[in-house]
Amino acid sequence: MEQNEQKNNGLNRRTFLQGAALGLASLALPFDRADASFWESFFQKHFREMNEAEIKNVLSRLEREYEEKYKKAIKIGNEKAMPGVLFGYGLDLSRCIGCRRCVYGCVEENNQSLDPQIHWITVLRFKKGEKWVDLENAEKYYNPEKVPQDEYFYMPVQCQQCENPPCVRACPTQATWKDPDGIVVIDYNWCIGCRYCMAACPYGARRFNWGTPNRPAEKINPKTHYLGNRPRYRGVVEKCTFCIQRTRKEPGRYPACVEACPVGARKFGNLLDPTSEIRYAIEHKRVFRLKEDLNTSPKFYYFFAYGK
Amino acid sequence: MVQIIKNFFIALRQIAVGDKKYYLWVSFLSFFILLGASAYFGQLNKGLIITAMRDQVSWGLYISNFTFLVGVAAAAVLLVIPAYLYNFKPIKEIVLFGELLAISAISMCILFIMVDMGQPLRVWHILPVIGAMNFPASLLAWDVVVLNGYLAINTAIAFYVLYRLSIGKEYKMSVIGPLIILSIPWAVSIHTVTAFLYNGLSSRPFWNASILAPRFLASAFCSGPAIMLILFQIIRKLSEVEIDNKAIFKIAELIAYAMGINLFLLGAEVFKEFYSGSIHSAPIEYLYFGLHGHNKLVPWTWFATVMNITAFFLFLFPRSRENFTTLNMACLFVIIGVYIEKGMGLIIPGFIPDVLGEIYEYTPTMQEILITVGIWATGALLYTFLLKFAIPVYTGKLRFFSKAQMIAARDIMSRRVTTVRPETPVDELVKFMLSKHLTDTAVVDAGNKLIGTVSERDIISLEVGQSTGKTASDLMTAPTGTVPENFRIQELGKVLASNKTNLLFVVNDSGQPIGTIAGNDILKALENIRQE
Repeated sequence: MEQNEQKNNGLNRRTFLQGAALGLASLALPFDRADASFWESFFQKHFREMNEAEIKNVLSRLEREYEEKYKKAIKIGNEKAMPGVLFGYGLDLSRCIGCRRCVYGCVEENNQSLDPQIHWITVLRFKKGEKWVDLENAEKYYNPEKVPQDEYFYMPVQCQQCENPPCVRACPTQATWKDPDGIVVIDYNWCIGCRYCMAACPYGARRFNWGTPNRPAEKINPKTHYLGNRPRYRGVVEKCTFCIQRTRKEPGRYPACVEACPVGARKFGNLLDPTSEIRYAIEHKRVFRLKEDLNTSPKFYYFFAYGK
Repeated sequence: MVQIIKNFFIALRQIAVGDKKYYLWVSFLSFFILLGASAYFGQLNKGLIITAMRDQVSWGLYISNFTFLVGVAAAAVLLVIPAYLYNFKPIKEIVLFGELLAISAISMCILFIMVDMGQPLRVWHILPVIGAMNFPASLLAWDVVVLNGYLAINTAIAFYVLYRLSIGKEYKMSVIGPLIILSIPWAVSIHTVTAFLYNGLSSRPFWNASILAPRFLASAFCSGPAIMLILFQIIRKLSEVEIDNKAIFKIAELIAYAMGINLFLLGAEVFKEFYSGSIHSAPIEYLYFGLHGHNKLVPWTWFATVMNITAFFLFLFPRSRENFTTLNMACLFVIIGVYIEKGMGLIIPGFIPDVLGEIYEYTPTMQEILITVGIWATGALLYTFLLKFAIPVYTGKLRFFSKAQMIAARDIMSRRVTTVRPETPVDELVKFMLSKHLTDTAVVDAGNKLIGTVSERDIISLEVGQSTGKTASDLMTAPTGTVPENFRIQELGKVLASNKTNLLFVVNDSGQPIGTIAGNDILKALENIRQE
């Protein structure tokens, strides 16, 4: 009897192993990653359903993966939203000169792919003296010798961090959500790449990794956040996070685009702090928000500090 | 279990074995499936960058085809309503083929969603419980629920009906009725939810029109049935399935009404957009006239409009819809017209101009087209297989082994078998039979082989006193009441009826008796089956 049982077990184990091998072979589409870390990443849980220990595990695995890929240490943070903070952004259109330094400052800070090229900020150029913000006649690919050009004004657009974000509602897998400090974030390991959020976003703020993101190791910013600027994957969506890796980790620090702006057109701060720069701008300037009629309630305020 | 495996192989054989034409068709489809698969492999390797989709136009040919096919799937309901609710017999006879078409169409829908995904391996994230389905907030989550539900309902209906037919029984409306009733609002829901998927996005004024869902339904009830009409004629020609012209003309009439409504709704939309002329009419302007010199969709749009209007009139007049040349022309026009209108004509203008006013004109790449063709070929192959199995079942040519058919003599026999040797004297035989309460007994030779039977009748027929000196071998009759052990239960009754005695002897391969079956045993077995 005992012998029989042993024999049975042996058979079962073997059939199981065969089955598992077949299963592996059929599922392991990315053959180059058919190792333990591939399966760990395949079965990784939703970020908000993991406990601290599980998150720690994931972060160290990802750090290992990135180090293997880029041959340099990359730190992935997981700073939570601070209580009493609601981030807001201001943009002074009267100052903006359309130089796109914010665009490239952002790319440098946030590890966007260089080829194919991904920008989180789009700067639009409008003709002065005709219409107000007339998107249909805006020019995104302007390329003059020198900016600013007298007859134009410029308007940078990035994620507006809506209080009522249509993208979050659209996402079928809850891979994108609004954190308590108002930042709309994406879990790049949970996004299935359906791009419904991109159809839902009224501001064209979301970018998809159509190809494999490429960025040379020496240009990788090693200070990252899980929900922010860590290197992304092919087939997932990404967007501006108000430089979550800076603004959460070092309270008071500006996002890269604010620092990059040579004319001080960009303001950033805590909307809940009555003494903040952004509160001053909102209270003292005539601010407006893009596509107010859609009721998305952006935390991104445009204004003209002076008429020119 | 044996029965299931056996029947599975019958079904498999039915699909695998066909004539030359069948193999030619299957290889034709397989060729395109392979082309599509190799293109998809390229997409898996390089990413969706091999398509012409970009951030500005983030959905393209795949989602366009998905949208069109949801309409085809929903159209089965146009057959279900007259068939089951109004008991219109000519359509009731063919509704099964419509349901199979719905199954194929939904399968294609799912494939189109899969190939559109940037991370197809993560598809399980969308499931409830094991994933993190964003239900009820996300309309895409709703779509997953309704599409899979519709697939399940239609699969259940079609396969239940086929199963009952295949074992030679009528399907029971008490079982299938509720599902059929449920499938009607469900078909409307897959359409409505898919329309809401676009409709609910305030960021895309072209889609954000409440007329979208009614338009979806109206156009679905044109294109889906038009495809079915053509398929029915092919089925009728290639098989023995009889499809009444009345059914075809009735469906054609229904298409005329649906197209009338579709054109009216389209007109309402066009009026509102162009007459009010707000900046939100830019996409429809792009669609019909081009915008800032970009006009790649314009010829397609007008082509589709002309097709739809022409088809409407061909379907409207009884003379042209009851003439197969004009009817087929009309079907073809509707399919092309709606494919453009509700495919690329619906999806692309949602993104042009994009939310920041940029115009990026989208033309699908060769790989995208190959993958799309591959999925269509996969759907066609699936439908072919389904029909290859369903048609002979439907015409009564293919029958499964039912449970009753699987029951053999050995399963119901009583294993008590009494035997005597041929040299047994009759007097002893009588005592033996009386003591054992036997009406019949088997006579076996030295090798335990059945050589005859003796019944009480044989003994009684002997005149009194004549038994002296006689043995069993003198009385026995040749073993007519014997059956092999694997004899099917249906045949047993016939043998029993033609036999003089009430007892059958079951013998094994070497002719040895192993059991007996009385009429009562057969009755009991039949009753058991009936109760199951």
